[in-house]
Amino acid sequence: MNFTLHIWRQENAKAKGHFETYKVSDISSDCSFLEMLDILNEKLINDHIAHPVCFDNDCREGICGMCGLYINGRPHGNDDGVTTCQLHMRKFNDGDEIWIEPWRAKAFPVIRDLVVDRSAFDKIIQAGGYISVTTGGVPDANTIAIPKRFADMAMDAAECIGCGACVAACKNASAMLFVGAKVAHLAMLPQGQVEANERVKKMVCRMDELGFGSCTNTYACEAECPKQIKRQNIARLNREWIKQLFAGNHKPNEL
Amino acid sequence: METNRLIKISSITKKLLIALFGAFLLVFLLFHMCANLFILANDGGDAYSAFCHFMGTNIIVKIFEIVLFGCLILHAVLTVWLWWLNKKNRPVGYHKHSRTKTAKGSKLAIITGSLLVICLAFHFYDFYFVKLNFVKGSYMVKMEDFMTSDPTLEISEEAQLVFINAINDGRTSKDMKWLRNLSAEDKDILQQAFPEAGFEPDFYAIAHQKFSVWHIVLCYLVFFFVVGLHIRHGFESAFQTFGLNHYKYSRIVEILGIVYCWVVCLGFAIVPIGVFFRL
Repeated sequence: MNFTLHIWRQENAKAKGHFETYKVSDISSDCSFLEMLDILNEKLINDHIAHPVCFDNDCREGICGMCGLYINGRPHGNDDGVTTCQLHMRKFNDGDEIWIEPWRAKAFPVIRDLVVDRSAFDKIIQAGGYISVTTGGVPDANTIAIPKRFADMAMDAAECIGCGACVAACKNASAMLFVGAKVAHLAMLPQGQVEANERVKKMVCRMDELGFGSCTNTYACEAECPKQIKRQNIARLNREWIKQLFAGNHKPNEL
Repeated sequence: METNRLIKISSITKKLLIALFGAFLLVFLLFHMCANLFILANDGGDAYSAFCHFMGTNIIVKIFEIVLFGCLILHAVLTVWLWWLNKKNRPVGYHKHSRTKTAKGSKLAIITGSLLVICLAFHFYDFYFVKLNFVKGSYMVKMEDFMTSDPTLEISEEAQLVFINAINDGRTSKDMKWLRNLSAEDKDILQQAFPEAGFEPDFYAIAHQKFSVWHIVLCYLVFFFVVGLHIRHGFESAFQTFGLNHYKYSRIVEILGIVYCWVVCLGFAIVPIGVFFRL
């Protein structure tokens, strides 16, 4: 298969970027999207054409959340429930023009080419996406009885790999699905109850500060999430937020 | 630490307020629609006029009127504020237009909302501003207001003529309690003769005047369509923002939203259509 690629090239965070057009040929239809970019980079290096195209990737099996490209108007490309590394070239037609852009959001500045700085997500997690427990021996399984239904829902929310596709897809660059998933999976388990009110308050405030938008219920995030996190998690986040609004305002060491 | 900074309104609280005010407007809309149906009652407008009199004079209704306008303005102001803040969160846009499959309601909401402001301005000009005396319309007055006036008062011939003409034209309610469908000039003449008479806008007559013109009817139908688009998004959205979205029950909310949308829109649309075709 042959493709014409229009790739966003940007020297560094401060430089002005532009689209560069490359042609790749003889690509196997079984190639993943990132493998196709590898082939392009190999060509760029061997033929001394340009610096290789920078893009994030790690596990290449859809579980790490590192990869993420905005391909032809869709985060992670034209397939549902997959990350960019799981997107295969058979999803395209021979001779297609493919536009490849980095995630666009104020909170996700471009570092180089297609690589963006997603540490804003880490900062949200640091604000409250944890439970405070003293580490020690591994507790026995099922010491705390959790109904299967809740365990399943918590697991579904915990599937979020933090790739940022929700922010990239959202017209407001909102991180509500991400924060929703991170709040929900802890809110549904007994371990998460103790810090529940503090958690949602800290995480949402941090989210607002970092320059993410607010949710206007378009659900583009749900449509593009590679882990198919549901909008119900945003509703749960809203619910948790309402709960903490009425829960009073304890300082950390004050009961 | 930003832990104790709740005074700053968070994005979710803003949305909660928008949803809260919107929900009140949704309830009002249903009420407004039901009230309008009185216009179609086959009693020459007596029921509707009685209702308008109640709405125009009751103190609780007046309080609700202020609450309603407050909700309307805050709903719009908060939304525009949020929309403006949201726009800034993606300084560099995408080259390729988004191809994500989503429902259009949410993206259209800001546009339909802006259109509604324009529609409402015309709607107020047609009806509500008559009540505020900004524009002239048709008026009605209680018969007893003429009776209780000072008997020594001299009544001009002009006023007598207006009164007799109105009676002869049958512009009274069936129980002879109201004199209705008076033009602004007639009202002024009668008001001069009977300074104590309390005139009220006759919305039944105004509705019949407006809705006998085909292009006004068409404009209102477009208005109701825009209302429909807006609340189609709003109904479900309010539930989501209040956190009332559940794997099991959200389907019911969705169906309820569609039913509500159709009932309200058709309920509104049937009045101008009914009046125009004299059903």
